[in-house]
Amino acid sequence: MPPFSHDESPGMISLSTIRSLYRMLAPPAACLAVALPGPAAAAEQAYLEPSAFIAQAFPGTTAQVKLLWITPKIHAETVRILGHEPAQLRQKYWTDGEKSAWILDEIGKEDAITAGFVVKDGHIEQARVLIYRESRGGEIRYPAFVAQFEGAKLADGLYLDKQIDGISGATLSVNAMLRMSREALYFARTAAAK
Amino acid sequence: MKKHLIAAALSTLCTTAVWAAEPTLEEKVQILQDELDALKAQMAQMTKPAAQSNTASLPAPLRADSPSSIITTAPSAIVNAGPATTIGGYGELNYNRYSNNGRNSEADLRRFVLFFGHRFNDSLRFVSELELEHGVTSASDAGETEIEQAYLDYRFNDAVNVKAGLFLIPLGLLNETHEPPTYYGVERNEVETRIIPTTWREGGIGVFGEVAPGLRYDLGITTGFNSGKEADPATGYREWHQEMSLSRAHDLSVYAALNYRGIPGLLVGGGIFSGNTGQNGYTDRTTPQQPLLAGVSARLTLWDIHAKYAIGKLELQGLYARGNLGDAGIVSAAESAVAGKNVAVAKSLYGWYGQAAYHVWQFGDYDLAPFVRYEKYNTQQTVADGYSADPLNNERVVTTGFNFKVHPQVVLKADYQKYKADNSKDRFDLGVGYMF
Repeated sequence: MPPFSHDESPGMISLSTIRSLYRMLAPPAACLAVALPGPAAAAEQAYLEPSAFIAQAFPGTTAQVKLLWITPKIHAETVRILGHEPAQLRQKYWTDGEKSAWILDEIGKEDAITAGFVVKDGHIEQARVLIYRESRGGEIRYPAFVAQFEGAKLADGLYLDKQIDGISGATLSVNAMLRMSREALYFARTAAAK
Repeated sequence: MKKHLIAAALSTLCTTAVWAAEPTLEEKVQILQDELDALKAQMAQMTKPAAQSNTASLPAPLRADSPSSIITTAPSAIVNAGPATTIGGYGELNYNRYSNNGRNSEADLRRFVLFFGHRFNDSLRFVSELELEHGVTSASDAGETEIEQAYLDYRFNDAVNVKAGLFLIPLGLLNETHEPPTYYGVERNEVETRIIPTTWREGGIGVFGEVAPGLRYDLGITTGFNSGKEADPATGYREWHQEMSLSRAHDLSVYAALNYRGIPGLLVGGGIFSGNTGQNGYTDRTTPQQPLLAGVSARLTLWDIHAKYAIGKLELQGLYARGNLGDAGIVSAAESAVAGKNVAVAKSLYGWYGQAAYHVWQFGDYDLAPFVRYEKYNTQQTVADGYSADPLNNERVVTTGFNFKVHPQVVLKADYQKYKADNSKDRFDLGVGYMF
């Protein structure tokens, strides 16, 4: 039979496919009707505003903003932790004299993840994912994941002293969180030593 | 935008903040000079307004009334959201030494893959994956150049994202996450190669998102398989996927998947893909219609369930996958007519595996993890009446080896694979892989 002489109906989808489609898409369609924001509502990926993170890190106390200058020595150690040049030349942080809070950024697979860390006595007291921009791997923001960082300290070689269980399919985001946690601990230790 | 940058630069200069470290004056001047240079370079590069819409990507000014002020919303780094256009990639080079079939021993630059992504704004992004297989792509070589992903992804919120283009089908563990450092063994496992045809992608439109913390759904309509294409019963329905290369789209398919990742180390989920494959007997624009497949549905359904769990240094993983084909007798007859011999297309096929790995040594970035995997599959579990299955397609495989990571994203691998039914496949494998 020569090409294009067939008696098919081009573009027709079988009835069973349409039935399957309806069955599968009906729930999300309902979901769309409820969940879609209006055009003015942009995607909101900030799970916790940085200012809110700092506010809850120092409840009832006054924290000072300070700067850690990324001197050549600190720069070299930060490169060891991150595996690349740090984006910042000075690092702002907040401290009340006992603990310090750090807001850091690191690229996961394609986009930067913004995370906040509170460090006290050389260990992480709190870790939070503040802004997540990747389309996959957002599970790292859940308490079950970030809670694992609590109590973590720096071990030899500027590594964490405890194992952090990852999220399947979010390897690069998990790795970015690990690097940032080490960076926060190192910065806090360096700032405290001055 | 520029105002922000200038404000940042000026406020940086004017800020009399208390700094904890005490660099020398020369160091401070140099650091400020470096920062000014970086800001200038950044301003020069910012030519796309859309990429600037993410306010977090801007260096918000430090407050000049520091050090006594308590809170500013200023993000920490100069560039927070990262560049709008990104490049990544992965690759692997493998060596297979066959125990009983020396002529098949070979070394191969199996995959060289580059990711290109672009973020148009907070909600809209482009994702792509360009793959070169087997080192050289030419008419006289086995190599292939493929687009494995190329789609646009629009994010409404956590619960609703829409993507359109060529994307990976969310079945199994390997198909969507197939970078060498993320799986054990030099070669990808057999079940997710022969039953689930990794790396499996289709063109279409999909919706995905989180409906509960850690619970992700995927739904969509895409192109599907073409049962008019030449089949290889040893690899199930793999040869029928069309890879979005002038795909016949008379019959479309639908898919759905649900995966839970709410607990660190745990992944439980499953997926299903279903659609007719007859394509009214057409394999491309010029090949004459295969009359046996005209008007035939040949519905193909593939589904799987899977789980992964990490308990301390122990990692466990398992998967079961199954496929069924309607009109298998007609499809077998059509395939046989073209091939000039009996081709027994599977009426059903299945496979499962269980795998355990243990991180015996971890030091810094180094991580040594031996593993063992047991796989059982049959790519011709049932065939149409009048056709017989090849017993070699009913296989069991034991793979034993280790992954040694020299960096979280760079892995050296070695293993031995023992095949129960077809021992000509027994082999020793070495591999090196990376992702970034």
